[in-house]
Amino acid sequence: MKALFSLAAITFKEGIRSRTVYGILIFAIFLMFLNVMISGMMMQDVAKVAVDMALSSLNFVGLLLVFFAGVNLFSKDIERKTIYMVLARPISRSRYILGKFAGISAIIVFSLAILAIFESASIVIMKNGYPAQFLRFSWSALFFSFLLTLISLIVVLSTGFLFASFSSTSFITLVLSIVTYLIGSSANEVKALLEVPHDIGERTSPLLLYCVKAACYIFPNLSLFDIKTEAAHGLFVPLSYILSSIFYGILYSFVMLSLSCIIFKRREFP
Amino acid sequence: MDPIIRVHDVSKSFRDNLSARKVKALESISLSAEKGEVYGFLGPNGAGKSTTIKLLLNLIRPDSGSVTIAGRSVEERELRRIVGFLPENPYFYEHLTAEELLWFGGQASGMKGSEIKERSMMLLEKTDLLDARKRAIRTYSKGMVQRAGLALALVHDPEVIILDEPMSGLDPFGRRMVSNLIIDMKKAGKTVFFSSHILGDIEKICDKVGIIAEGRLCLEDSLTNLLNYGATLEDIFFAEVEKISVKGN
Repeated sequence: MKALFSLAAITFKEGIRSRTVYGILIFAIFLMFLNVMISGMMMQDVAKVAVDMALSSLNFVGLLLVFFAGVNLFSKDIERKTIYMVLARPISRSRYILGKFAGISAIIVFSLAILAIFESASIVIMKNGYPAQFLRFSWSALFFSFLLTLISLIVVLSTGFLFASFSSTSFITLVLSIVTYLIGSSANEVKALLEVPHDIGERTSPLLLYCVKAACYIFPNLSLFDIKTEAAHGLFVPLSYILSSIFYGILYSFVMLSLSCIIFKRREFP
Repeated sequence: MDPIIRVHDVSKSFRDNLSARKVKALESISLSAEKGEVYGFLGPNGAGKSTTIKLLLNLIRPDSGSVTIAGRSVEERELRRIVGFLPENPYFYEHLTAEELLWFGGQASGMKGSEIKERSMMLLEKTDLLDARKRAIRTYSKGMVQRAGLALALVHDPEVIILDEPMSGLDPFGRRMVSNLIIDMKKAGKTVFFSSHILGDIEKICDKVGIIAEGRLCLEDSLTNLLNYGATLEDIFFAEVEKISVKGN
């Protein structure tokens, strides 16, 4: 445990001091001001636009963090052979994966917490400026949306770990992680679009439907974590939905990390 | 007495990414180092020195044969508590300081906080990094990174120290510092296994020498025996490597 903790700690320190994280956080502050400006230009639905923009910014900046800071921190370890200094210690390869994952997750949680504060500040500014537009606004819906966005980023990060566990370059890991994110975000909607004509007797390619269904099982269903619309309209989201989504996210990440550990154990580092 | 480092009849090949052809890196090599010995592992570029060292650290696995340290398989994780390693051209987390790097090394090897602090200060002083200990590694020169790597390899006071080209990138002062450190380790009864191109350094500090070329161990003997016949280590090295090259052709 001590080794795992110390690896997570140096991963966190290394990540948080990197220019990529600073750059992304500065970009987040810019997005906060952009949110205030754009929402302020709206004549109606100010609350909806402000919340939607805050959540989309958080998701976008979070993704940049996962792809360019998170996944890179792991795959560059292998590419630059920094991993030698870790594996030469009495640290098992599974602990290496878990320590690295814990450290990078901590960077994402820390950065997202700061982003959430900035985005919430932009909403407070707008709420004070246009109180009548924010009658249906709910802080709890916004908080749960932040939370589910965070879980979805952790899920994407875990898929990045799986790819980094077998790929030889950080570029391949990055491309595969982005593709996974794109498929994971849209597979459920594509499946619904294909199923509707099929259900009413229209001809759809069974092979295509089968492929999309398979993708829904294999790739993470990231649309589960997207409650931006509900948060923007101040709609009620059942707690059971939130808890089951979190459970799904944890389970999926667990499977991805277990697979990464199995692959990593067999890997050689010439 | 059983040797502390033992590589027995090990072969290793790698698959070439483009042609999918297998390239032999090591062919039935056997070598051994006794406890307290300084073993110099010599060979031209691409001879298989780093491959052998990576086998000793279980970073890669042999196709056949066995590799043991202190009688235990190198696959045993706990064994690495008694092993220190400096890779060739080490690359560390560049935003960390040397102090943080050594803290990690100590923690990961199961040392207590006070012990880590004491050893770190001593090693940072020995490697002339005391004043730079709170600076990020990315601001270090190549020689400083190499010295930080050496301090990291030694922070947990290992019994067996494996150094891959420890003198590379060092100026004459740095090389003398590494030589002195190796001599200190020998005096403390540690076993040092290191690869190098610099024959003069090997001649100065080694007890035993192994020469490898084209993945085959050409010669292994104590330095005293080798130099008994009046030839220099350089003469022996060139003669052995040329013999292997002629056989290979």
